[in-house]
Amino acid sequence: MIKFIARRVLFSIPVLVISSFIVFWGIRKTFDPTAKYRTSKDAARLIAEKRKEFGLDKPIVVQWWNWATKFVRGDWGVSTSTNGKVTDMVSRALGFTVQLIFWGVVISLVIAVVSGVYSAVRQYSVADVAFTGLSYLGVAMPPFWFALLAIQFLSVEPKLHWHLAHPIVYFVGLHSTGQSGFNLDYIRHLALPVLTLTVQTVAVWSRFQRAAMLDVLSADYIRTARAKGLPRRKVIFKHALRNALLPLVSQTAVDAGALFGGLIITESIFSIPGMGRLFLAGLLAGDVNVILAWMLVGAVFVILFNLLADVVYGFLDPRIRVT
Amino acid sequence: MINTRRSTVAALALGLTLVSAACSSDSKKVSEASSTTAASTATTGASTATTGGSATTAAPASSAAPASSAAPDTTTATTDSGAAPSGTVTIGVEQEWDCMDWMGSCGGSTYGSWSAQYFTTARPYDYVKGSDGEWAYKASNLLTGEPTISSDGLTVTYKINPKAVWNDGKPITSTDFKYTWDQVAHGKDIYDTSVYKDVSAVDDSDPATVVVTYSKVNASWQDLFESYGLYPSHILDGKDRDAETKDGYTWSAGPYQLVKWDKGVGATFEPNPNYWGTKSKIAKIEEKFFADTAAEFQAFKAGEVDTIGPQPQLDAIDAINAGGLPGKSVVDGNTGNVEALWINNAAAPFDDVAVRQAFAYAIDRDAIVNKLFGGIGVTKAVQSLNPPILAKYSDQAAFAGYTLSLDKVTSTLTAAGYAKGSDGIWAKGGKKLSFVLKSTAGNKRRELTEQVLQTQLKAAGFDMTISEQKAGDLFGTQLPAGDYVVALYAQTATTLSPGLSTIFLSTNIPSDANNNSGQNWTRTNIDGLDPLLTTVDTETDPAKRAAAAKSADDLLAKNVASLPLDPLPNIGFYGDKISGDFSVNVVQGPWWNINTWTVKS
Repeated sequence: MIKFIARRVLFSIPVLVISSFIVFWGIRKTFDPTAKYRTSKDAARLIAEKRKEFGLDKPIVVQWWNWATKFVRGDWGVSTSTNGKVTDMVSRALGFTVQLIFWGVVISLVIAVVSGVYSAVRQYSVADVAFTGLSYLGVAMPPFWFALLAIQFLSVEPKLHWHLAHPIVYFVGLHSTGQSGFNLDYIRHLALPVLTLTVQTVAVWSRFQRAAMLDVLSADYIRTARAKGLPRRKVIFKHALRNALLPLVSQTAVDAGALFGGLIITESIFSIPGMGRLFLAGLLAGDVNVILAWMLVGAVFVILFNLLADVVYGFLDPRIRVT
Repeated sequence: MINTRRSTVAALALGLTLVSAACSSDSKKVSEASSTTAASTATTGASTATTGGSATTAAPASSAAPASSAAPDTTTATTDSGAAPSGTVTIGVEQEWDCMDWMGSCGGSTYGSWSAQYFTTARPYDYVKGSDGEWAYKASNLLTGEPTISSDGLTVTYKINPKAVWNDGKPITSTDFKYTWDQVAHGKDIYDTSVYKDVSAVDDSDPATVVVTYSKVNASWQDLFESYGLYPSHILDGKDRDAETKDGYTWSAGPYQLVKWDKGVGATFEPNPNYWGTKSKIAKIEEKFFADTAAEFQAFKAGEVDTIGPQPQLDAIDAINAGGLPGKSVVDGNTGNVEALWINNAAAPFDDVAVRQAFAYAIDRDAIVNKLFGGIGVTKAVQSLNPPILAKYSDQAAFAGYTLSLDKVTSTLTAAGYAKGSDGIWAKGGKKLSFVLKSTAGNKRRELTEQVLQTQLKAAGFDMTISEQKAGDLFGTQLPAGDYVVALYAQTATTLSPGLSTIFLSTNIPSDANNNSGQNWTRTNIDGLDPLLTTVDTETDPAKRAAAAKSADDLLAKNVASLPLDPLPNIGFYGDKISGDFSVNVVQGPWWNINTWTVKS
């Protein structure tokens, strides 16, 4: 197993190196980080200073090499927009995104597994049809639209209708001012963004779970187990579910890894300064140091979660041996 | 199985620990950062007292180091009537500022100026609207009265109000003026050095008197110390200014002092207990940063924020028109903005003045403004390339003659040798009057403007296509390089001094001579314009300056150097919880007088 992990990590290094260069080249070619200084009344001086400071007067390969060698030493550079350390910006943003992803994934998994299994076991029942219909609805609803609806009908309208001092659930940030940690205020702030995140993931994951469960339930060994007279509950939860979880595990790992960089809409609407907003701000400003750090952190998470999926896969299914 | 359960429990515990750490990490970081700031500032105070023998009031370290929750003497702050300030006002801020080093290259954020800079800094002039509706400079409470200027226009003397102090109690002195000028004129990473670079010396021999000597006459001398405000020399001298200020500072010479800047989330301000002006009636200002305008309006509607100052985008206007918003809204078309059709005077077919004039006659600009802002009461196009706030330095009717007239389009273009083709498009020498209009992508207001323009121009025989560009590409590359024919965007004045020379002086056409950094992107080069614009820049007699500015405006209009459209109105929303004199200051924004507001019980 250790060899397997080491090999996967080693294979990922050239991927990261090449992708970082492509992104570096792409950003340098499409964004001019000195563009915002054009409106300064003495743009000539400022732009000349900044070109030197950002190393724009050097060949692109040299620029990238300078960045890469510093990056591996832990110096991720300084944002060209804020003059702040990129390490600080990324770690701060990551903290917010981790919270959203953790709760989103945990809640989505629970709902997806329960509804998926129930739909499969009670195929074509009213509940199955209802879950299927809702999942299509969930997939079809764009997050920005759902988020604004959720704000309107779960926060603003109840507050105005019942003349409440504060909304039941908040939609700005993850804490009220002066609050921190895990408490009721946190849950009231977390409710809507997590709901927005889970609507689509539950919709997709529950379909995976239903299909996998149906597949397993029609397998010979399940028929044998039933023929042997094992209780239905034991057949479903002990023999079928464990195998039916395999596709969902892969999907969850891949999705969760990708989510670390991709919650742009949810974070923007709910004013959560996570990785998605960091990416958007960096991209709009052509802030190459921020974008590269964001990309590499995102890539590391994708690789890490894929690795985790493989490990868990082997753990759940003894037939799969990692060599 | 036991191993499986243990692993599951361990994994769950690890996950919960990570999330728990993440939940509380931000607040911890803020308090740690604040502590660090407090410590470093305290050290500053000590070293100043030791090395700077001139320190007049040896304030205790705690007083010199206002930081986060341990800010100085906030609890003792009282209003002018002696009552303790009360209540919290929450501001919805549409764009977080990048940094708080206002003079640095990371500064320059409008929302940063409105919601942080003007709360914490002092400057020689206030921006005041007169009874005639015109904005003008008025000496602020930092000074004892209007500065005096020598007859040759080269020396300006400011007398500092003896009551003016920093929030640590130390007096504001001429050394602070000198330090600020020195940083802008000679420091590193400065956003804009104009006006400052024309100053040859600042005399601080008398702590209460600032004598500024210019190397050449600069008619915009009143802008000195305005854009950035004063920086405290007793705290920053000998240090890296940018490093000390970019992540927030606790010193203040304004009505408030920063308590906390929680990046990405919001900021907190409390009254400056030593502010010598109108003391705040509000105990705390909370600011929340928004990245989505729709959510910003919902937050205002739900009472999560008490006031917002959105940009005049269509979704903001739609929200106003939809109604249901609490409190009061203020819409003011007398702004420092001009949204215009900026024309490349060197690019065919607009290098022909007749085409530019016909273009101006082909557009019903009032109809466009009415379509965009009619719902909020702004219905008339602006008629000068100077923004409305510079009315006294411009002819605000310069372009008034250019109203929709297809007859004038026909006569003007026919006289210039054009004829209409079978497709209804004017052409000359086989070349059609076709052009591309460039603008910034993702701006719905501009998209609507472009659509209306396209329809109007087609009816007049112009073939216009639309090209949306990334803002960075448009302003960073294409406009400076002249890679456009007509562009739609706004120019914004941040002071009350006329500044058309920057964008219309022929020497500012990008060229090798100015390192291709000149900002006359329209390549305007009109006979007689340069002397007028130069007079505007150097004439200290207001009457002569205004006369030259108006003549320049008329020349620009006659030649249709570009075509002004609308003033991009300033908008402010004020909720039911607060009361006060609500208005949008043309430079200082919708919260300029927040210290005079009260929170209703």
